[in-house]
Amino acid sequence: MSTAGPMIAAEILKLRRHRSTMLTSGVLSIGITVLYFLVIESRSNGEISAQKALSSGSALLAMYFGSFSAVLIGTTAGTIDLIGGVYRDLVATGRSRVALFAVRVPAAVTVALAFNLAGFAVPVAAAFTGGGVRPGLLAQYAGWVVLATTVVTAVSVAVASVTGSRSVALTAVIGGQTIGTTLLFGAEFLGSLRQGLLSVALSHLRPGPVVGSRDHPGSSNALPGFVLPMSTAVAVLVLAAWVVIPLVIAAWKVRNQDA
Amino acid sequence: MNDVALTLETHRLTKRFGHRTAITDLDLAVPSGLTFGLLGHNGAGKTTLVRLLLGLIQPDAGTITINGRRMPDHRRSALAGIGAIVEEPHFHGHLTGRENLRVVAAVRGPHTGSRIEPALARVGLGERADDRVRDYSQGMRQRLGIARCLLADPHLLILDEPTNGLDPGGILQLRRLIADLVAEGRTVVLSSHLLGEIEKTCQAVAVLDQGRLVWQGGIDDLVGESGQYDIDCDRPGVAVDVLRTEPAVVRVDPRPSGVRVRVADPNAVSLVNARLIAAGVAVSGVSPVRISLEERFLEMTTRIGGPRP
Repeated sequence: MSTAGPMIAAEILKLRRHRSTMLTSGVLSIGITVLYFLVIESRSNGEISAQKALSSGSALLAMYFGSFSAVLIGTTAGTIDLIGGVYRDLVATGRSRVALFAVRVPAAVTVALAFNLAGFAVPVAAAFTGGGVRPGLLAQYAGWVVLATTVVTAVSVAVASVTGSRSVALTAVIGGQTIGTTLLFGAEFLGSLRQGLLSVALSHLRPGPVVGSRDHPGSSNALPGFVLPMSTAVAVLVLAAWVVIPLVIAAWKVRNQDA
Repeated sequence: MNDVALTLETHRLTKRFGHRTAITDLDLAVPSGLTFGLLGHNGAGKTTLVRLLLGLIQPDAGTITINGRRMPDHRRSALAGIGAIVEEPHFHGHLTGRENLRVVAAVRGPHTGSRIEPALARVGLGERADDRVRDYSQGMRQRLGIARCLLADPHLLILDEPTNGLDPGGILQLRRLIADLVAEGRTVVLSSHLLGEIEKTCQAVAVLDQGRLVWQGGIDDLVGESGQYDIDCDRPGVAVDVLRTEPAVVRVDPRPSGVRVRVADPNAVSLVNARLIAAGVAVSGVSPVRISLEERFLEMTTRIGGPRP
């Protein structure tokens, strides 16, 4: 697929030039992270621990505002050609619809990662001022942010490509990740089925201690997470399913839809 | 057109949307190296046909062959050599003209990028190529649409209403550009409501009506001599009476300054003239009645008094 590189670069160009998305993502991924650390720095008189900085900063990016940024970028990537009316002109080149869809995912992930990793530099800086960081721990938190951003962005691209509407996709993904997840997580009668929630699987893979975990009850060094006892293998499988199933459905949909 | 090389051919092409049949058993044959007009009222099926040709929608029956390649089996290679504007050209408004072409060039594949600058220059957008498209006029968008078509180095261009939004100068420029493209050996299919524009630009046309092909062929076969003649004379009433008994005259109608006759054979015109003079009618002029594309089009199609129910 020798043309994939230029096609991905073209998708990135479309996203980079989309000012409203870039501005909002910058605020969500970087601005709010900076603000958060300014507030907790002022509260802790500059004595924030490296562990706490990384833990809370990565959670902010992987589970909350950075995640919203990824949704925004993913849904934009999934609908930008349709909304612009350009999609049929691209299909008319003879390029397959699935190829046109497929390049949206790495492009959106690249842009979302650029924002969330830029945001991650803030807790890293705070961690260094807080007494230094073990490189291994730093890599674990960075990896978790990358994993969460990649999964959420891919899901967002898929949902947006299926619905063809950015507003519907934004509502579905953000609503699902906030209200839907909270309601389902609280529905204890669902038992282990709740392990299938995206946020539960991501929370399980989060490095370090997590609020609510049995090992660290009441720990205050992190934002709250959706934690259930589960194996790492199950968490990985759940994440893989969250990526693969929506993408396959979206690819099938775009392959068969009129342009 | 059996002996003519065809760029585009459809055989019994049919497309239905639910219970409505938009295209019915369409046998279209577009010869290579000329400008081909696609005519029809709104809803006649022109845009549906264009979308079928470009693989944007799938036919329910029939075949499409482009440059010898059957669709959809050879969709990629068949469409690689086509540039098209469907309905109106759409672009990413937040990108510049040049960036929009870069996006399409990336999709078309290697070597297409090198065609961006020549395409922009050819449509006269070189100096505005770095402006965002949302700031372009309608005419500039049309020209950028043509530039996007040229990225394919197309053997076939399909242009749906390409003169929309163009001022007279822009229309003239587009007409020249199309003529230049055809002179280079390319084929241009023009879909337009502007019959005058089609008449000036096209060498062959197809007329669609209610999803059916009602006529196709050279434009000279469609317009021009009508087999009728206007005869200016001093006594139209007498002239009508005389010519009604003349076997060579198929039909005769009075006009304020004479009569209009339809003759079976153009050579009979001199006989008609002689008969009138012999009957004492002073004939001051005989001129053939040319039929325009508009008249032919309205005769063939159903919306305004056409023949089919």
